[in-house]
Amino acid sequence: MTTATYQVDTRAPRPVRRPRRRSVWAEMRHRWADYMYVLPALAVMMAVIAYPIYYTVFLSFFKTPPSLAMDDKIFVGFENYGRILTNDSFWSTTWNTLIWTFFSTFFAYVLGFGAALVINREFIGRGIARGILLIPYVISAVAAAYVWRWIYHSDFGVLGALLTQLGLADGPVVLLDSVDRVLTALIVVNVWKEFPFAMIMMLAGLQTVPDQLHRAARVDGASAWQRFWHITVPHLKGVTLITVLLLMVTNLGSAFTIPWIMTGGGPVGASHIWITQIYEIAFGRIRFGIASAYSVILFIAIMSLGVVYVRALTGGDERRRQE
Amino acid sequence: MTAIAENQADVRRESRAPRRSFGHWGLVGWVYLVALLLFAILPMIWMVLTSVKGQFSALQYPPQWIPQNPTLEEYRRLLSPNNDVGQEFIGYLLNSIWVSTATTVLGLLVAVPAAYAFSRFRFPGRQFLFYAVLLRNMFPAVVFLMPLFIMMRWFGLVNTQWSLILTYLTFGLPLSIWLLKGFYDNIPVELERAARIDGASRFKAFVLVVMPLSTPGIIATAIYSFILAWNEYVYALTFVNSKSKLTLPVGLERFFTEYATNWPGLMAASFIMSVPVVVLFLVLQKYFVRALTEGAVKT
Amino acid sequence: MTQFPKGIRVLPRLLGSTALTTLFGVGLVASYLHAPHDAAAQAVDPADWTPEYISSIAGTIEVDTAAECSAVVPSDYEGKLTYWYIAPNEASPLLDHEIDAQFWEAFGAAYPNIEVEIQSQDYNQMLNKIRTAAVGNAAPMVARLPILWGVEFAAKGQLSEFGPEDVGYSVEEFWPGAMKSVTWRGNTYGVPSNNETMALVWNASIFEEAGLDPERGPDTWEELVQFSNQIKENTGKNGYGLVARTNAGNTPFRFMPQLWAYSAGALDEANDAPTYETIAINSDGGKAALQLSYDMYVRDKSVPVSALTNTQTENRDPFIANQLAMVISHPSEYAAMIDRAARATGQEKEIADRVVANMRYGLIPRGPERRAVVFGGSNLHVFNPDVVDGGEVDMEAAKALVCFWAGPEWSTKISWTNSNPGNLRGFQTSWMKERLEEIKFLDVTTSMLAHGVPFPVIPESPEIMNIIVPEMLQNALTEKMSVAEAADDAAEKIESVISGF
Repeated sequence: MTTATYQVDTRAPRPVRRPRRRSVWAEMRHRWADYMYVLPALAVMMAVIAYPIYYTVFLSFFKTPPSLAMDDKIFVGFENYGRILTNDSFWSTTWNTLIWTFFSTFFAYVLGFGAALVINREFIGRGIARGILLIPYVISAVAAAYVWRWIYHSDFGVLGALLTQLGLADGPVVLLDSVDRVLTALIVVNVWKEFPFAMIMMLAGLQTVPDQLHRAARVDGASAWQRFWHITVPHLKGVTLITVLLLMVTNLGSAFTIPWIMTGGGPVGASHIWITQIYEIAFGRIRFGIASAYSVILFIAIMSLGVVYVRALTGGDERRRQE
Repeated sequence: MTAIAENQADVRRESRAPRRSFGHWGLVGWVYLVALLLFAILPMIWMVLTSVKGQFSALQYPPQWIPQNPTLEEYRRLLSPNNDVGQEFIGYLLNSIWVSTATTVLGLLVAVPAAYAFSRFRFPGRQFLFYAVLLRNMFPAVVFLMPLFIMMRWFGLVNTQWSLILTYLTFGLPLSIWLLKGFYDNIPVELERAARIDGASRFKAFVLVVMPLSTPGIIATAIYSFILAWNEYVYALTFVNSKSKLTLPVGLERFFTEYATNWPGLMAASFIMSVPVVVLFLVLQKYFVRALTEGAVKT
Repeated sequence: MTQFPKGIRVLPRLLGSTALTTLFGVGLVASYLHAPHDAAAQAVDPADWTPEYISSIAGTIEVDTAAECSAVVPSDYEGKLTYWYIAPNEASPLLDHEIDAQFWEAFGAAYPNIEVEIQSQDYNQMLNKIRTAAVGNAAPMVARLPILWGVEFAAKGQLSEFGPEDVGYSVEEFWPGAMKSVTWRGNTYGVPSNNETMALVWNASIFEEAGLDPERGPDTWEELVQFSNQIKENTGKNGYGLVARTNAGNTPFRFMPQLWAYSAGALDEANDAPTYETIAINSDGGKAALQLSYDMYVRDKSVPVSALTNTQTENRDPFIANQLAMVISHPSEYAAMIDRAARATGQEKEIADRVVANMRYGLIPRGPERRAVVFGGSNLHVFNPDVVDGGEVDMEAAKALVCFWAGPEWSTKISWTNSNPGNLRGFQTSWMKERLEEIKFLDVTTSMLAHGVPFPVIPESPEIMNIIVPEMLQNALTEKMSVAEAADDAAEKIESVISGF
């Protein structure tokens, strides 16, 4: 079997004919052609990142009330930041954001992992089952938001009708219009949308668990649970880290469409999370200065997470390279 | 070379043979699977059931579980090129297809060489640049709306579909590059070396030897970008104004206006909108899993 | 098309719009034409603006739009224009689509050399788009904006000064409320295209079921609360269609009349000469008005539970499904229902016909102070060349379009199913007469115009109306705060908004 050989080989990306050490500049000149491969990607990314970051940070120091044109904005230093951090609604929104991010990520991961374990078995119709489970991930968030809003509808919703008919509820089932339940209801939709992603990642992870280990363990009399806990789980550490972090970043920074279309942050801000709040400040209240400051705070939060994220994605890789 | 590839395939098959036994967890597993399948599919089923109801019967409460007089009227209206609604909707559909396809193709042209370079070459700053590319995902889309709009205006791209294609490109790139890089990391260097000895240039070796071996990765990346572009809503809402250039998610919102809701119509449009991506994904899903398995997730 | 001698075409420009009268005086319409301005002057007197009066003036004048406008901009003018507006969409009645097409045909015939690049927008999407476009210097030359939106752009200097006189009409041809909505710091920034006021719509069969007089709507807000409760108790159906979603234009349209009826308001917008400086939302009247909503939602539970996430869009569904007795809505509600009924078949047709047959329209209830309704509608604006794509506005082409659109003929036709002409002469046309005959209850909604109160004409209005007011409702309805606390909290927020931050 040649697996081992391959794996060693692949880690040495180029013929290791390292000539004498050159200065960085000389090295860069020497390898100019390498950059050509990366250039298009970098150019596109930089074009779309650099200016918006500059713009957002710059604007965060200005007051931009709706009565002023952008050119007449007033410099206020850190006042926008002060106003945000001393506002009660910021802290309740932050709390919502934490709950939203944590539970969405947690349940998407747990459901997805469970699905991966089940779907990893061989049975008739496995492909179809996997396909069906993937549908929520694939369909558009706009369509998903409308369908769920229709399902949850406090007066009309099929969910309420179903629960009433099954005798589990009497009277209207209030989800989106309840301060206490709206966030949970939205998290369910978000989990519905995201668990397939976790499933497919974990499925890929499961399929890399070497079968020999399991076989050997079975010969040694290990139970299914022991095998799962001592072989499968440790093996999936890497992919778990990546999956969870990707989910977290998505929930913090881009899961906007579902809460916005379904509730617009209401009632009384009970389903406002940072991104919907930023959008409301920018486009509902027309205060780009405060929205920018808010965004910078969000940047910082996601960036700190991002450091962990990037390390997780590339850390192991790095170690291998240095061998 | 073929021998090696076949060997590899053997390895793959063996290491990925699904485990048959699940012990006493079997029953729990089945119940769980059924529950999860229902959770995943029921909203979609309700979408379809609502879409074939008449406008009035959709509003009955308690609802008709099974539509009593199912009608395909909404589908006919949306897909018939002979009326305004149909014309418009088909226009959105074609726009979405064009934007998503262009994003996908360009995305591959950009991501494939970049991922290859990050995997194989050792130019200075490689690490930093790789991080920089991945960082794109850190920034919430909503925040960038205004500055990006101003930039698109500089480039003269406002109200063109290129503004969307360019933006979507950057959404898809981080994961695409990461996915493909994992793939290239696992393709033996010997193959290229052999090709180089035979006289091929570095680029030619890449195109002739490495590319074909990374097909699952490329397909996976392509589906991923296509779906991202197909479903994106916020930027499409801001950058494009002409009705004739709108994509489906924004077009969908037009059904939901101040004056009227048409739930069956909305659901029918949502369904039509979902069909292409769902079919695409169902057909190609095995590549997606394979790409992750053999590339990025491989430990 | 009638061609007038050249001299005649120049006249109105010299003499202003009063001269129009004398101009047509040549023909036998002279006496009619003198009427419009008198009528317009009387029309602003609410005492006269009754359904009977409206019917009596309809069909008394003839209008030749192409001729009127060619006096402002010669019909051979060559130019190019970009124009954004909310065109009929998938959900609009068929008739709207047809009229829209007819307009562009007529305009094309009158001005064959003006090329108009049209962008039709969605109501929910347009405001943000046009804001972004104005910041990015990509605005259109001309846009028709809902009444609440314009002032923000005017305050930012993004609109050109432009008023009825620029297109050959006099200011008196428009409602004072409408002119107020296009005025910022004494300058005029637009021409009203259409004005609308809503009315109370109820389902007579639910009223009957509940033991109420099916033909009589509630006269006061207190009575509305009572009716709503009686309906809920006797039929199990929801009484009044309350809406309280944030970031949705529907909420203030339905709640502000309540505040105004109790002599409150967000600011002093209900006064004849508002200063927009005093806050009235937490006055005793304001709290009493908010208490009504609380009573319906929390105490009586006689309104849809989904009110907090609802827009009127979803509220209309239960109404159609015979589950909700009263809503505040447009005249178009009836037209839309007829349209739906026409499309329906079989069993659906029966339901549709039944709903249509049971619809009744009445005035919006009054309070201790007055009967009030939001003075709504749209205005036509010309953007400042600095923020327009290409940096130039073809002013003559803009005038031609605005003249055509805001004239008596097309302002009546374009608002056929859902609104009323902004140009008061529109009420005297034969098209208005036709509408009154064709659209049931139109006279009721139209007569509400006299009770119209415009939203505060300050750039902070969207924030106050779409966020602060709905939040106040939500605070009280979820019992997160008491009614008084919610009103005081809203007052504090409005204070901070108008104080400039």
